Amino acid sequence: MRAGAVALEWRRLRRHADPGLLAVYTGALLLLALAVLYPAYRVLVYPSWADYLAIPRSLRWLQAARNSLVMMVLSTASATLVGVLFAFATTRHDLPGRRLFRAAAMLPLFAPPFMVAFAYILMFGRQGLVTRTLLGLDANIFGWHGLWLVQTVAFFPLAMLIIAGVLEAINPSLEHAARNLGAPEGAVLRTVTLALARPGIAGAMLVVAISVLADFGNAVIIAGNFPLLATEAWFRMEGMGDLTGAALVVGMLLVPTVLLFLLERFWVSRRVYVTVTGRGSRIERPPTPPAVRWAVLLACLLVTVLVALVYLGVLAGAFTAVWGRDWSLTLEHWHLARDRAGTLWASVRVGTLAGVVTAVTGVLVAFLATRPLPLRGVLDFLAVLPGALPGVFVGVGYVLAFNPTPLGGTVWAVALALGMWHLPMGYQAAAARLRQVERAIEEAAVNLGATGLRVLRDIYLPMLLRALAEAFAVSFVRGVTNVSIVVFLIAPGQVVATFAILNMIQNNIWGAAAALTTMLLLLTVVAVGASWLLLGRAVRTAPVG
Amino acid sequence: MGRTAVIGLIVMLAALALPGLPGASAQGGRIVVYSALPDLETSLINREFTRRTGIQVEALSVAAAGTLQARIRAEKDRPRADIFVGGSADFHAPLAREGLLLAYRSPVFTEARISPTYRDPNGYWHGWYLGALAIIINTDRWEREMAPRRIPKPATWDDLARPEFRGQFIMPSPITTGGGYIFVAAQIFRLGEERAWAFLRTLNGNVAQYTPTAPGTITLLERGEAVVGMMWAHEGIGARILRSAPLEVTVPPDTAFEIGAVSILRGGPNPAGARAYVDFLLTRLPQDINAKFGFRYPVRGDVPVPLGATPFEQLKFVRYDRDWAVEHQARIRERWTREIGR
Repeated sequence: MRAGAVALEWRRLRRHADPGLLAVYTGALLLLALAVLYPAYRVLVYPSWADYLAIPRSLRWLQAARNSLVMMVLSTASATLVGVLFAFATTRHDLPGRRLFRAAAMLPLFAPPFMVAFAYILMFGRQGLVTRTLLGLDANIFGWHGLWLVQTVAFFPLAMLIIAGVLEAINPSLEHAARNLGAPEGAVLRTVTLALARPGIAGAMLVVAISVLADFGNAVIIAGNFPLLATEAWFRMEGMGDLTGAALVVGMLLVPTVLLFLLERFWVSRRVYVTVTGRGSRIERPPTPPAVRWAVLLACLLVTVLVALVYLGVLAGAFTAVWGRDWSLTLEHWHLARDRAGTLWASVRVGTLAGVVTAVTGVLVAFLATRPLPLRGVLDFLAVLPGALPGVFVGVGYVLAFNPTPLGGTVWAVALALGMWHLPMGYQAAAARLRQVERAIEEAAVNLGATGLRVLRDIYLPMLLRALAEAFAVSFVRGVTNVSIVVFLIAPGQVVATFAILNMIQNNIWGAAAALTTMLLLLTVVAVGASWLLLGRAVRTAPVG
Repeated sequence: MGRTAVIGLIVMLAALALPGLPGASAQGGRIVVYSALPDLETSLINREFTRRTGIQVEALSVAAAGTLQARIRAEKDRPRADIFVGGSADFHAPLAREGLLLAYRSPVFTEARISPTYRDPNGYWHGWYLGALAIIINTDRWEREMAPRRIPKPATWDDLARPEFRGQFIMPSPITTGGGYIFVAAQIFRLGEERAWAFLRTLNGNVAQYTPTAPGTITLLERGEAVVGMMWAHEGIGARILRSAPLEVTVPPDTAFEIGAVSILRGGPNPAGARAYVDFLLTRLPQDINAKFGFRYPVRGDVPVPLGATPFEQLKFVRYDRDWAVEHQARIRERWTREIGR
């Protein structure tokens, strides 16, 4: 009986996988096991059983766990909602200002995470430009409410990127069909557009939720006396040098993440969302109902102002002598920042390598995970898992796992860690798009004699170009702006810009920190803009359904 | 065609970013330094070291000694650095106990007749600067909010617990920072354990925030997010002089001090260079740089006191038992989370 099952499995494998595909598949499994699972394993076995058993006795950690869950629910809900609004606004051709909104939604990705929190303290703190200077209020931004605001602004772009990708792929003829069948506008929106975007929204919620759980950059600056698991893990290291404690807290963080993951699978993967049929459609999208249009527009404008304030804060900080006290213009901060300009180049190197790792691995794994191959559930899990790991965890994991090897202390360790950490973004985007592709296209190719790898190269890759480009861009930018991993893996002589900025903030050189951040912003905007132009052309010429 | 462009672009970028293969450079006259001091002091001191000895320095400067401590632990199988410099000796002592440091007795230390209390008896770390805990006031907010109510400025630790500072006091967290912990231990040495906890509970009623990192406190004080704070005197003086921050620094009686240490990592790539570095730090020049730019007290008697600082001998210290404080750290932090809970 069992032998029969194995034989059946083997026959299935032989039918669906040729040697080339199998080799790639095995390679991908090994890579993920080594680059994701092994460092995680090294961190988790670092504490002893007694250490783990002592967790329930730590009041502070239980409190942190509860706070983390509350923040996850609040921030995920708001960030996804804003993400949906922005995705909707940017994919509707009849909405004014969609380019502006797209730019506004991309901006928070360019800044190091703590910069959003930093700017909001400047704007909304006790001495804030908005709260005190303009409104004369004595506002306390420190605490869960400040964190909620900051996380919403920091993470809605992730949601927007994923959801917009899916919305754009929805065939407009479906909306036309619904309307022709007499459905009212609201029903079209609800039962067609949003319903079809569901895998995107679910995927976005998952990515945002685990990002919120793992976020410490903002929390560390603005959460005040509000212990969270991610910051608790970081403080263990930062203040106490306590690897064991950090590993324990991070272990607690893994539980909700795994649950989230299962929830997403259960919710999304049971439905069929085929809209890319390969039969091509160039029909114009139907007009958006006016009420919806104005509501979306207003909400997006409000968020855009909030985003703009971050950059105004940073820019003003870079050019004014002393924030809040001496508003005279100065270039002095730029001289200090220029001394650290070499760190920008180091950032670009690390970001590019990380972007390549994320994009290539993400698309490859997304493709492989749709094949009827054994253990593909494992592959899928390993591709999402890194998003659940706080940066410090990944950083320490890499140090523990790879330090004694030749990889340790090189730029490769940083690039691999960053690339793999951002893998879920590349993977989710590619997987969400793959789920929309009707299998008939592939079956036609297979019937014509295409091998598994040929199917990937000639059919899926062109359709996934956009996902590939987005994965690269997101990973590049997040790699360039990362701090949490870099803090542990960066070696003397390879200092990257964010690391220098964090040091400046910690040493209270805020003006120069703002100046260097502005340089970093310009650099990433230019880099991403250039690749967007190039890729934009490539994507338009690619055959997308 | 589109695909070719994408692949071409990615290959091009990757090639551009390709770093040189590791292990190509010779070790020779080069040491690696992990520094918990700010970039500025670190790079000035290292530049002078290279000029004097010809030994190149690769430095990694992180503002938190705890991060470096964790990094050194994580790298213990293959240490990458030779030197751990900066941060309170409390961060170096545990590493010595775990066998991660190399003992060394610098001849310069003896020649300069530096007090032996500033060196580990077994030679695992050398103290080369000192810092004292202080009460720091934001004078802008004080003039606006406290002065009109004729409230006297706090001059002792006990004054900080007065009800008028409710919600206006900040200090670094004793759970995550060395400075915060030394403050709590100082209260125990000052009042005895039970009275110290009673004091800390009262003080807790005034606390707006325990900042997770030590520089966080000075940052928020400087920005006026709080009126009064507890922090290293040199941070407050530095902010006042370098950035003309509206801060007033008072070192109260029964204060405690940190010994800023330097230690050699066991198994580092260049132990001879590391010893030369320790010797160098105990000479006048680096201590003078650290006093001028970091406003920290030198351990040498022949180096001028930092600008704006009270001479070290004039400060009144509590009888601080460093060994006891390190020994009971876990228990005290445990009790802190139980009783104060923040």
